[in-house]
Amino acid sequence: MSLTRPIRRVGRVFIDASYEIGGAARLLARIFRRLVPPDLDIPELRRCLLRMGYRSLSIMIATAFVVGIILVIQAFVFVDRYGLRSQLGWGAGFTTIRELGPVLLALMFSGRVGAYTAAELGTMEVTDQVDGLRCLAIDPISYLVVPRFVAMVISLVALTIIGNTVALLSASVMGDIMMDVDQHTFWSNLFAMLTPWDYATSIIKAALFGAIIAVTSCHYGLTTTGGAPGVGRSVNNAVVSSAVAIFVVDYLSTFVMG
Amino acid sequence: MINLVNIHRTFDGEKALDGLTLFVPRGTLLGIIGPGGCGKSTLCKVACGLIRPDMGAVVVDGVDLVRADRKKLLAVQRNCGVQFQNDALFEHMTVLANVEYPLRRLTDLGRGEVRARAMERVAMVGLSGFEDRYPNSLSGGQRRRVALARACVTDPLILICDDPTAGLDPVTSRRILDMIAGIRYQTGNTVIVVSSDVPGMLSVCERAALMWSGRIIEEGVPADFMKSERDEVKRFLDDARLPFGGDR
Ligand SMILES: Nc1ncnc2c1ncn2[C@@H]1O[C@H](COP(=O)(O)OP(=O)(O)O)[C@@H](O)[C@H]1O
Ligand SMILES: [Mg+2]
Repeated sequence: MSLTRPIRRVGRVFIDASYEIGGAARLLARIFRRLVPPDLDIPELRRCLLRMGYRSLSIMIATAFVVGIILVIQAFVFVDRYGLRSQLGWGAGFTTIRELGPVLLALMFSGRVGAYTAAELGTMEVTDQVDGLRCLAIDPISYLVVPRFVAMVISLVALTIIGNTVALLSASVMGDIMMDVDQHTFWSNLFAMLTPWDYATSIIKAALFGAIIAVTSCHYGLTTTGGAPGVGRSVNNAVVSSAVAIFVVDYLSTFVMG
Repeated sequence: MINLVNIHRTFDGEKALDGLTLFVPRGTLLGIIGPGGCGKSTLCKVACGLIRPDMGAVVVDGVDLVRADRKKLLAVQRNCGVQFQNDALFEHMTVLANVEYPLRRLTDLGRGEVRARAMERVAMVGLSGFEDRYPNSLSGGQRRRVALARACVTDPLILICDDPTAGLDPVTSRRILDMIAGIRYQTGNTVIVVSSDVPGMLSVCERAALMWSGRIIEEGVPADFMKSERDEVKRFLDDARLPFGGDR
């Protein structure tokens, strides 16, 4: 009994995880079925874009700004020791655009928008509002989930492009201050070394992460049970699962798109 | 017409409905009473296809809701007005907008007519003057009345009210039940009401049903109901402190 307990517990974790992943996959299939031909609520999409994209702009810019600075501070040791000042633009650009930008901004986005969405849909579910929509012949997937999915993918792609730009701007300024790498050297090195594929990778990752955050938060939101404490659990599960999924997909996509 | 046959439904290994059978003829005002947690809310949602039973048949106006596809289900559901136990009010809409919403979604009425009908229902539940308030500024009882106004505003063929009188004072509670009875007599539609105001229910409804741990154990006209010999029925009516002991 005491010997099998740890095994059981591990088994339980895997069974629960498969259950959730299965549920999320089913939700994703339903979303796609309503995307071709498009069956979604346009006013709701507009509201979501405003709330998720536009209103997240300041916090995302602040995050990106700090990322650029930290990058240069961290790179300083290597760049200084090996005299690689002329390569700083490439180093900063490659790391930011391909990896740090998409991942850090997605985590920030998940904490803000994903958590909000899980709480919002969770509250609607436990107060019967979702059933209320069904009784008005409104499909909750078309009305609630698809607009949020589309809005999150578009917002995160746009925010990642803006964030990458801001991070590189702050990196170039910091490089100038800390290691006397002038703006011209930084940017010409960056543009000379980065390929279009690098930019594309960034955008593909942002779209994938946006989709992950949307599906996870909507799935946990809509499967909430147990009143207000249940909403708290859903938010927690949504944020943790999104983060795990982002890291796993980031690893896989870096591997595939490398 | 609603026909539920041998419905079973389990939540996380716990039986909520356990072999429930119930027939509601068209145009009946059926009152459902029973202790908390016996499955009344689950019954309400099964009857309009919002919860799929694990086993059993749900036939509403000739459509089998368990086997119906999404389109057929939606077609039945648009004829159901449901007042949910948790109000289900849309928090970003005012009271009036909440009540107008079903009319805007489900009918082709013009703006003026929609507004007039919604105002009338809001007044009917005694909330005139609250039209521009948001749900989160209302008390529990007021929210429930808005939910009731929204459920019945389209005069649905089937009106289901899950405890519209919970937490109301006896006078308001009786007024709400009278109002629901009024809707039933005006429209001739089927109405199912769950309420913990047992005396009130037995005085307004045409048929009453007592639920006990997941099934209907007694069903009939209120007069017979009070004479029932079943132990649970007697006990429940006693506990509900009915003012009439009669020959018991
Ligand atoms: N969504 C749900 N998830 C888990 N358990 C539920 C759910 N809905 C109802 N139950 C359980 O089913 C039983 C019946 O609930 P309910 O129909 O709400 O009873 P009533 O409305 O008569 O108080 C209760 O034990 C309740 O805990
Ligand atoms: Mg209930």
